[in-house]
Amino acid sequence: MSTAQPHVPDVSIEDRLYTVKYRDAGESHLGVENPDVCADCTTNECTSVCPAAVWTVDPDGDGVPSIAYENCLECGTCRYGCPYDNVEWTYPKTGGGVVFKQG
Amino acid sequence: MSHEATTAGGLQRPDLQTETPNYDDAFDAVVVGAGLAGTAAALTMARDGLDVLMLERGPAPGTKNVFGGVLYTPTIRELVDIDDAPLERYIAEKRFSILSSDGDETAISMRPGAWRDDPHNDSYTVLRRRFDEWFAKQAVDAGVTLVTETTVTGLLRDGGAVVGVTTDRPDGEIHAPVVVLAEGANSLVSEGADLKERPERDAVAVSVKEVFKLDRDTIDDRFRLDGDAGAAYQYFGEGAVGEAVGGGFVYTNKRSVSVGVVYRVEDAAAGQTPEATLDAFESHPAVAPLIRGGRRIEYSAHVVPEGGARAMPDLVHDGAVVVGDAAGLVLNSGVHLEGTNMAVESGYHAGKAIAAALADDRSDAEALAAYTRDLDQSFVVENLRHYDWFQRTIAADRQFLFEDLPRALASAETEYFKMDRTSKDEHTGAARDHLVAAAGGWFGAAKRAWRFRRMLS
Repeated sequence: MSTAQPHVPDVSIEDRLYTVKYRDAGESHLGVENPDVCADCTTNECTSVCPAAVWTVDPDGDGVPSIAYENCLECGTCRYGCPYDNVEWTYPKTGGGVVFKQG
Repeated sequence: MSHEATTAGGLQRPDLQTETPNYDDAFDAVVVGAGLAGTAAALTMARDGLDVLMLERGPAPGTKNVFGGVLYTPTIRELVDIDDAPLERYIAEKRFSILSSDGDETAISMRPGAWRDDPHNDSYTVLRRRFDEWFAKQAVDAGVTLVTETTVTGLLRDGGAVVGVTTDRPDGEIHAPVVVLAEGANSLVSEGADLKERPERDAVAVSVKEVFKLDRDTIDDRFRLDGDAGAAYQYFGEGAVGEAVGGGFVYTNKRSVSVGVVYRVEDAAAGQTPEATLDAFESHPAVAPLIRGGRRIEYSAHVVPEGGARAMPDLVHDGAVVVGDAAGLVLNSGVHLEGTNMAVESGYHAGKAIAAALADDRSDAEALAAYTRDLDQSFVVENLRHYDWFQRTIAADRQFLFEDLPRALASAETEYFKMDRTSKDEHTGAARDHLVAAAGGWFGAAKRAWRFRRMLS
């Protein structure tokens, strides 16, 4: 007999991101190099590797992800996650972006 | 050299509205990034009499930095007095635990008495925001000029040689004889300047972490701790990271607990999301009670370079050196998870080499090569070489290590200790059969024992 009860913690990505402090840099430090590559992509690794729900692809849209850059934790996972090397990744300018209080 | 903008003691936070001081050609070295490697390099150079400018893109050192939780201090303690450092707890217990996805846990715990004695095996939990800011302050006290909220956007070249940096500040070109690239795992500047190639996806892990606030007494009671004693728990198996290759961790801070998972970006790209992986780990019956009632105070994430010795880039170039995570200096042997100590060691050796080269009025790669040589002979590269086989080997044996073994251990334990009216002898035989079957028979068990012998050697 297994006593393990699959238990999904009662926490959403919004709850998690709410704990994170940001300074809005005012413009996105993320982008896609070539939207045509995204349009042809069916696997959307960017959406599954990102821990902060920055990348979302509308199933009824053109396949190009929308980018909620203001959620970005600057972890860099999407840089590696995209198999087509199509992520444009820069640092937010002049102190903008995530400001970790603990780290 | 003179540079009027230097402020003694405090950290400099230039007001964006005022004119930026002109740092061009005012320093012997520019350090890109005020993390552990950069600060160690800056501090070492300042002590050797160099004028050093350290640039940090965040509003303060540590604001962009994430790690699991344990700082190893043998080198830092040589550089600065850590008695006043914002350390959380010393590691009094290490615990290694295998979790199955059925809720089983098999663990081994160690609490050597020696770890309770100063300097506590040089192992402390810290929170990077506080620690990195404190460490950078030590560098500033030694004469380093720290400028925050300034992002280095590229390198200046003269011929092939690096002769400075460009920044996102107005008139942000800063010429200097040597640039130290301590920009961390996402080394955009080094990659953009072709000083290193971006690591392959299969050589990089993603980590997600949460810090839970809990009373000090609650932490002491739950983890059986007293005073400044702390615990470092590492987890393996399908119950820790699902179908991925990696592990989980729980570290105690003074009044909070750091919980997270680290696994290959490959596995996340295959569809196992960081959030779901963290959810499953946090809700495992062996882990959930440790954080029950804790309030989430920070969620964070970062990539971790895990390519080992083979993925290390060239460390020295004409006018530049690469240190810390930017140089891929992270050790993951399953048992040992290290990076902070290697970052500091690399910064120290780089700083020493730069000071020696500049004393001869040189900054070419040949003159800086002492850094590569010294790091090569240090524990940093020795350890990376020694464990270079590890990542590939566990990835190749994932099914056994992460799924079959945790279940077989639990079945064997259940069988071995079973209370019924059958003899111990029969139970022992049945327990053994579980393990031998999971390992692929006696021959398979022998083969695996041989394959993983180096883990403890």
